[in-house]
Amino acid sequence: MPLLEKKNNKTLPWLKYGIGSVVVMILAYNSVYFRELDEVKAEASGKFDAAAFAKTFLEKQLSPKLAIAPDIDDLTTLLSTDKNKAFDAYSHATAIGNIRYFLVKGQGVITQINENDLTIQTPKQQLTLAMEFIYGNALRDASGEFDITKFTKTADINNVSSELNKLIRASVVFPFRPKAKVGDTVQFAGAIALNKEHLNLTEIEVVPASLK
Amino acid sequence: MAIIISTLNNPWFVFLADNAAAKAKELGYETKIFDSQNNTALESDHFENALVSGYSAILFNPTDAEGSVINVRKAKAAGVPVFCMDREINATDAATSQILSDSYSGCVELAKLFVQQTNKKGKYVELLGLVGDNNTWARSQGFHSVVDNYPSLKMVAQQSADFDRNKAMEVMESIMQANPNIDAVFCGNDAMAMGAYQALAAAGKASKVKVFGFDGADDVVSAIKDGKIVATGMQFPKVMAQTAAIYADEYLKGKREFAQKLPVAVELVTKKNIENYAAFGKKEQ
Repeated sequence: MPLLEKKNNKTLPWLKYGIGSVVVMILAYNSVYFRELDEVKAEASGKFDAAAFAKTFLEKQLSPKLAIAPDIDDLTTLLSTDKNKAFDAYSHATAIGNIRYFLVKGQGVITQINENDLTIQTPKQQLTLAMEFIYGNALRDASGEFDITKFTKTADINNVSSELNKLIRASVVFPFRPKAKVGDTVQFAGAIALNKEHLNLTEIEVVPASLK
Repeated sequence: MAIIISTLNNPWFVFLADNAAAKAKELGYETKIFDSQNNTALESDHFENALVSGYSAILFNPTDAEGSVINVRKAKAAGVPVFCMDREINATDAATSQILSDSYSGCVELAKLFVQQTNKKGKYVELLGLVGDNNTWARSQGFHSVVDNYPSLKMVAQQSADFDRNKAMEVMESIMQANPNIDAVFCGNDAMAMGAYQALAAAGKASKVKVFGFDGADDVVSAIKDGKIVATGMQFPKVMAQTAAIYADEYLKGKREFAQKLPVAVELVTKKNIENYAAFGKKEQ
């Protein structure tokens, strides 16, 4: 017993120091954190953080709308029969003019793998899924959730599209592209751009926001 | 409504002014067009005159993004709303709204085509507009936001030709001496695209070099049909002018919430869809 007591007495200080060290490390870890210099500079200068905005926009505003987007085959049927109704009900755009954007979802079989896109066959039509040129305002505007009145700087408005596209390229397109094979079935959701005045439903390209 | 225009020595701005005046008249307003002759001092005088004469709104095409701010502030202080058309000012708390071509996005679309047409490789030249003009950089930045992702596309020269056809021809001739083998030229407006094409044609290289413009000018619409120019970004000055007049009317009837920057879509025009377009906009159907 005395031996054990002695051993315990020796162990106790080490235990105390050990616990103390862990506590100090936890406190130190929680009191010091690292952030990118650009982020801090941006905050200090009051500069708009387009990357952070795009991430939140994708998670909180675009993704919920993608879940309830119209099926691409249903939408193109409506566009063929009642163009104005389809544009009024489903299209959005930040800029005024004839280029309008629609959120869509659907399912199809990959029939061809091209340099810049995939050709897919849905139950009713052939269309392409963009794999290379994920640029432009389709993903920013198609949901109608982007509110331009909250922005005063042109560069900020453009940077939201740029960062959103960057995010989709990195998180959706790059992981999907190397695995895609002819004959695979793909479930997609994303955005399309159509010119209301000169409607062309034969070359529809979907800019994907989700691929499975 | 007073319509104050940077210069009436350019068909583009005459078209803008005439369409703004026509829409304002249609809405029941008296109008007068003022020509600033690209001179901010003269522009300042026009603002003074417009305010003293009791115009209720100003439809404004600024002479200088920086230098015109003071004039807009003066009008705001006098309780007269200003609606910028086609060119922006470097202030977001002065004009009631700024209605502008979406130059950046238009050039993103042009750049996608540029990358495809060049097969993602080769040497190219960029001709910039006036370096002090915001549109110059919006167009260049939109273009580079795409093209710079392709490292095999090498920009061998980037020079200003001031949106001017003759200057573009001279600049292009000079660039070709140092860089005889180029594959494409991206120009910040159509006048420069035509100047670049002339220089290339004179050097016997027009068929080998792809030229891209921006604006939707009459001669470029024809040149696209003839296969001389690959593409342009079509702007819609009529839409900008009419929207400015409509906004002014809405303001005078009590509306106060307007987007500070309202982009007007720019459409990609190529040989494939050229039949749908005429200079500075679409063909009437």
